[in-house]
Amino acid sequence: MLHIQIDPHSGIPVYRQVMDQVKYYAASGALKVGAQLPSIRELSKTLSVNPTTVVKAYTELQHEGVIEMKQGKGAFVAEVGRGMSEAERRKVLERLTRQMVVEAKQMGAPADVVRRVVEEQLEEMGLSREGESGGVTHD
Amino acid sequence: MIDAAIEANDLSKTFPGGVVAVNGLDLRVEKGSVYGLIGRNGAGKTTLIRMLVGVLRPDGGVARVLGADMLRSDRRTRQRFAYVSQTQQLHAWMTVEELCHYLSHFYEKWDAAYARDLAGRFGLAWDRQVGLMSGGEQRKVSVLLAFAARPEVLLLDEPAAGLDPIARRELIDEIIDVIGRAEGCTVLFSTHIISDLERIADTVGIMDRGRIITSQNLDDLKSRTKRVQVVFDGEGPPRDFVIPGTVRSKTEGPVVTAVVRIDDESQLDAVRAIPGVRVNVFALGLEETFIELFGPASRGEFANGGTS
Repeated sequence: MLHIQIDPHSGIPVYRQVMDQVKYYAASGALKVGAQLPSIRELSKTLSVNPTTVVKAYTELQHEGVIEMKQGKGAFVAEVGRGMSEAERRKVLERLTRQMVVEAKQMGAPADVVRRVVEEQLEEMGLSREGESGGVTHD
Repeated sequence: MIDAAIEANDLSKTFPGGVVAVNGLDLRVEKGSVYGLIGRNGAGKTTLIRMLVGVLRPDGGVARVLGADMLRSDRRTRQRFAYVSQTQQLHAWMTVEELCHYLSHFYEKWDAAYARDLAGRFGLAWDRQVGLMSGGEQRKVSVLLAFAARPEVLLLDEPAAGLDPIARRELIDEIIDVIGRAEGCTVLFSTHIISDLERIADTVGIMDRGRIITSQNLDDLKSRTKRVQVVFDGEGPPRDFVIPGTVRSKTEGPVVTAVVRIDDESQLDAVRAIPGVRVNVFALGLEETFIELFGPASRGEFANGGTS
């Protein structure tokens, strides 16, 4: 398992910090589909956090379709986009983008800079131009 | 509703000389919960815990652990919980082994193997007289004795005081272990080390002047308490401007900075809609929240909406 690091002092709840890192590892390919996550007990010991925090993180991750919990076997990275409908996905994306656009506007970032940053991030995750007609992926 | 492991209703205690230590306090800790209690020195934490365990008689109100009033409880009930006080007097002439042997007669569920195991993990010499140990080591012995009783409820009054960082982490790991056990265990602990609390507590109670001013899920508290900064163009905010949900606020020129309780995502929409206004929202850790509440010039008031 990849290194998960938490900062208990942060204003971001610990379960969120765990979720964000698992999501990042899954999205960046560092954790492949089907990879097993540590057990709740194991992770709560490694991080020295209450097991209910890990349960909460895993439950939310499952709800969002990032991981799958298999009875008696543990938690595994799910196939991308599993468990989320097109509409749900769009809703989440809109909310996140809106947040970013608001922040960008407040710091006075020009639209083309915002677009470029988004492109760069997409590329880093291997999502650039994927699915476009005649599109060429970078790898 | 889930059963309460610890309950207090309208609990009060005034000490001779008129010092009001606990003042009409209500508390509810659910079974299986890890409840972290914070508050400034003199807020009444120790007095509260001493009343919960029945070593101090309240002037008014009721305190119950596992449904029983500790002042009237029998031995059977009393052995279902364990208490580590700040000023535990251990029998100094006894060794750890002798203490364990002695206490095992009082606790039906005493776990001798676990006691020995803990001594090893805490680095405590099994055959050493407790009186010859350092303050930190004696503290670890108190913790060991409490855990080895395999209680259903653990009440820990500043268990980490005087422990080095490694020992504190061992203590946290031990708490994680006991709450993960099938029989379950409810833990209430007071501390000044907020990062410890943030690791293991699911619920946090903030105590001030003899009352619990807020008691809520730690994640909720963190998600809902934010620092919000509103920057006005030019002249600054209108005279009656207040950020909705403000707990504490200050204005410096065109900038209003406030600790805000966010109950609704759209709560700040109206502020964002004011022309020429910039709104920044920052996450706030528990320690910062605490300092905002009790630091210089604060009133220590907290809108207690979400006691769930």
